Amino acid sequence: MKDNVLRKLQVLADAAKYDVSCASSGVSKNNTGTIGNSSAAGICHTWSADGRCVSLLKILLTNYCVYDCEYCVNRLSNDVARASFTAEEVAELTIEFYRRNYIEGLFLSSAVEKNPNHTMEKIVKTLLILRHQYKFSGYIHVKAIPGADKLLVQQAGELADRMSVNIELPTEKGLQLLAPQKSMKKMFLPMKQIKDQITQSKEERMHFRHAKRFVPAGQSTQMIVGATNESDLSMLTITDQLYQNFSLKRVYFSAYVPVNRGGNLPALSTAPPMLREHRLYQADWLLRFYQFDAKELLDEREPNFDLDFDPKMIWALRHIHEFPKEINTVPYNELLRIPGLGMTSAKRIFKQRKVRAITYDDLKKIGVVLKRAKFFITCNGQFYGVKSMEPDSIKEILRPAQPFEQLQLQLP
Amino acid sequence: MIYLHDGTFNGLLTCVYAHYYDKAAEGIYSEGTYELSLVDDKKRLVTDVDKAKKVYNAIMTKISDEAMSHVYHTFLSSDYHKDCYLLRYLQLGFKMGYKIDYHRTHQDVIMVHKLSAKVTKERHLFLGTLRFQEVGKGLYAPLAPDHDIIELLASHFADRLKHEQFIIHDRKRNKAVIYNTKAWFITEFTYEEEVKVSEREKQFQDMWKGYFEHISIKERENLRLQRQFVPVRYRQHIVEFGD
Repeated sequence: MKDNVLRKLQVLADAAKYDVSCASSGVSKNNTGTIGNSSAAGICHTWSADGRCVSLLKILLTNYCVYDCEYCVNRLSNDVARASFTAEEVAELTIEFYRRNYIEGLFLSSAVEKNPNHTMEKIVKTLLILRHQYKFSGYIHVKAIPGADKLLVQQAGELADRMSVNIELPTEKGLQLLAPQKSMKKMFLPMKQIKDQITQSKEERMHFRHAKRFVPAGQSTQMIVGATNESDLSMLTITDQLYQNFSLKRVYFSAYVPVNRGGNLPALSTAPPMLREHRLYQADWLLRFYQFDAKELLDEREPNFDLDFDPKMIWALRHIHEFPKEINTVPYNELLRIPGLGMTSAKRIFKQRKVRAITYDDLKKIGVVLKRAKFFITCNGQFYGVKSMEPDSIKEILRPAQPFEQLQLQLP
Repeated sequence: MIYLHDGTFNGLLTCVYAHYYDKAAEGIYSEGTYELSLVDDKKRLVTDVDKAKKVYNAIMTKISDEAMSHVYHTFLSSDYHKDCYLLRYLQLGFKMGYKIDYHRTHQDVIMVHKLSAKVTKERHLFLGTLRFQEVGKGLYAPLAPDHDIIELLASHFADRLKHEQFIIHDRKRNKAVIYNTKAWFITEFTYEEEVKVSEREKQFQDMWKGYFEHISIKERENLRLQRQFVPVRYRQHIVEFGD
């Protein structure tokens, strides 16, 4: 029996690995059952060979799919190994892995087998076994399958810690091109429902301590980067809207790994746009933690991020007239806008100033990346960057070295 | 004057007490690790719980609980001079009060924050990478951390695995956390033989290894990044990196 489960596990882990979210963060819970707790900071349990954190058992319930989305490994018309777990199998695996401290919880996703309701029912069944039979109070993240009955989505939300609906592509046009069976409207429906029920449960809990929690770690989504030719601007604009309209906790970006051949897709030899993914994540942090607005970072004239420089740097160079800022007096929210300064160092500077004025040498001890920051600050009135505040000359100094090209000897 | 203590936290606090109420100290060391030097004027102090308690309360009320946590974490680090750094940190702390931890650029503060961060980080890493094996009726987890962290792991796992008996075994220091489904305690512990793994345990280990291999995306492989997160020295006790 175990050989069979091992095979399924391999097939369904392979099928799930392109889903990027593996966070177990966002909710702090003590063990109220027999096994499991979670820490709000999130705990990584291992790192796979691609350097990504593994914190949850991330698998699909099944990779038999009725949809035929062009970008997806599991599309109907692909000839790949297929498998289906039973709810019982997933629950047992989760518990046995959890006891051994391999994982922080479960991330359960699924292809759409037969129809959305059938799949969602199976997901709910798995959660019921985990929560009630095993009395598991660890972390669970599940997918809401668009098109499934509202009641099933609600049931899942009452059992899970986080839910997500992947929107995959940022525009209706891209979706039409690669996933004609899906539509934005259909995906926003469960998202809206989850958002509303989170708000409702939060309100109820203010009045009744024992009111049911609904998706306490919030909802998230994922977008594929580089499968279609949408700009960073359109990715970031929809990201911003998702945070505002659906109060999402996280938006994930996933550099497209070509797995399928198709007329509308990048060639199989295309490398995943990792650096572009990285820039989008940096921008996403600027939105969530640095009080930036999507419109400040990109516009129609420059709809894509510069791959050589991080988004905050580019923003600063475009607003060079606002610099330099005096480290010892500038308010906290402006500290956050200085390139080379992160949240941690901004907080440290803020506190240090209460004890003693900061010198230029102190900045390194605090953890500021002076290589970038020095062009944008003064320290006790003294400026340490280049003489003229010229964006182009700053860029020239900071531009990353181009990798050498190997000279090829042409042999006759 | 160099004060030596028995290696316990109360021992260290007793030395701090002596620094203020007896002779000023130039250094404090644990007697077990102290390297003999003929020139040093040294004195071995007997741990006094009442004196230690007074120092503890003084840190909590005159400095802060944040400082207390830095002190305790630094105490658990394996740095040879850690107790000397703590002495200097506390001297400054009793002058500055809670603002000492704002002073990130002061040498005495930097040393303690650095060591305390190392210990906290290692604890966090082991919350994730500790691996239990089923041995008989209970669970057993071996580890060999750089710093003395098992005590910092205990309550997390005692809550998480409330109904399981387990042993978390620091193989470097020959001590262990033992939890019996009601309470945990720390004791000296050695376990020399190879752990006998049952057939069932072996199956789950194989499944985890199989999962671990398949979850990685080939096109994104980055072993250097992986090594940054899981340094080689920790790998011998982590199932998926073993053989």
